[in-house]
Amino acid sequence: MTDTNDIVDRIAMGLSAALFTLGIVVLGIVETLAGKPFGAAPLTNDAGEVIATPMIDPTIRTGLVIAGLLVLALWGLYKVATPLVEETTTQREMTAD
Amino acid sequence: MSTQAANPLATEFELELDKPLTAYWLAIVRVLTGWWFFHAGITKIIENGLNFSYGPAYMQQMTGTALGPIPVWMGNNLGWLIAPGVPLFETLIGLALIAGALTRLAALGGVFFMVLFWVGNAGFGHGLVNSDLMGLMLFMTVLVLGAGRYYGLDAIIEKTKLVEQNPKLRYILG
Repeated sequence: MTDTNDIVDRIAMGLSAALFTLGIVVLGIVETLAGKPFGAAPLTNDAGEVIATPMIDPTIRTGLVIAGLLVLALWGLYKVATPLVEETTTQREMTAD
Repeated sequence: MSTQAANPLATEFELELDKPLTAYWLAIVRVLTGWWFFHAGITKIIENGLNFSYGPAYMQQMTGTALGPIPVWMGNNLGWLIAPGVPLFETLIGLALIAGALTRLAALGGVFFMVLFWVGNAGFGHGLVNSDLMGLMLFMTVLVLGAGRYYGLDAIIEKTKLVEQNPKLRYILG
C-alpha cells in the first residue's frame, strides 16, 4: 500500500512539475529565443496593427499548466479516495560517541 | 539526538515549519490573500448585490482558450449560479482564508477562480507569468502548506473529536 502510494505520489509530483516547467519556463525560453514578441501576446504598433505574433500559441502553454493543475487535482482526489497511511516517521536514535 | 529516517527529503536544509518566522509569514500570506478576495467579493455585493451580471458575460467571451468550450458553456448555461456565485464565493473564500477556517477547501476555490481569471484575462504581454498566475500560486501555496494551522482556526478545528475521528477532513482544513 505504501509502495503504491509512493509511486503515485512520485508520478503526480513529477508529472505536474514537468508540465508546469515545460509550459512556463522551457517554452518561455523558446519564445524568447524566437525573437519579438518576447511575451506571449501579439505585438501591435500605434495603429493597432499586429506586427508580430508569438511563435507558440499561448493556448498550448496555458493548457500545459492547466494539465499540471489537473494532475494535482486528480492526485488530491486519489488521496481522498484511498485509506490514510499511518504515520511512518521513525526516530532513529543516534549515540553521542 | 535523533534524525528523521523515514523521509529521504529531510536534510539539514529542510524548511522547518515549526519555526516562528515561517509560521508568522504563512499566516501573513494567508490573511493578505484572503483580504484580496474578500475585498473583491464584498465590493461587488455592495455595488450590485448578488447579481454580478458581468460574470456570465465575461465567460461567454472566453473563446479559444485552453479550457476549450467549458467557460462559454458555463457562461451560457450557469448564469443563474455565476451571477450570485462570483461575489458570494469570493467573499466566503476571503473570509475563510482570513479566519484560517476550511483553509484548503477555500484555497481550492481560489485556485479555480484564478485559473479562469488567468486564462480569461490573458494578460500575456510580458509572458505567461503575470499577477493572475501569481495569485494562483498564492492560493496553491496556502493549500499545499495548510496555512490555516498557523494562527488560524483550523489549528483548533483539527483538534476536535470530529476531525480526530475523521482524519480525512484535514484535506479540506489545514
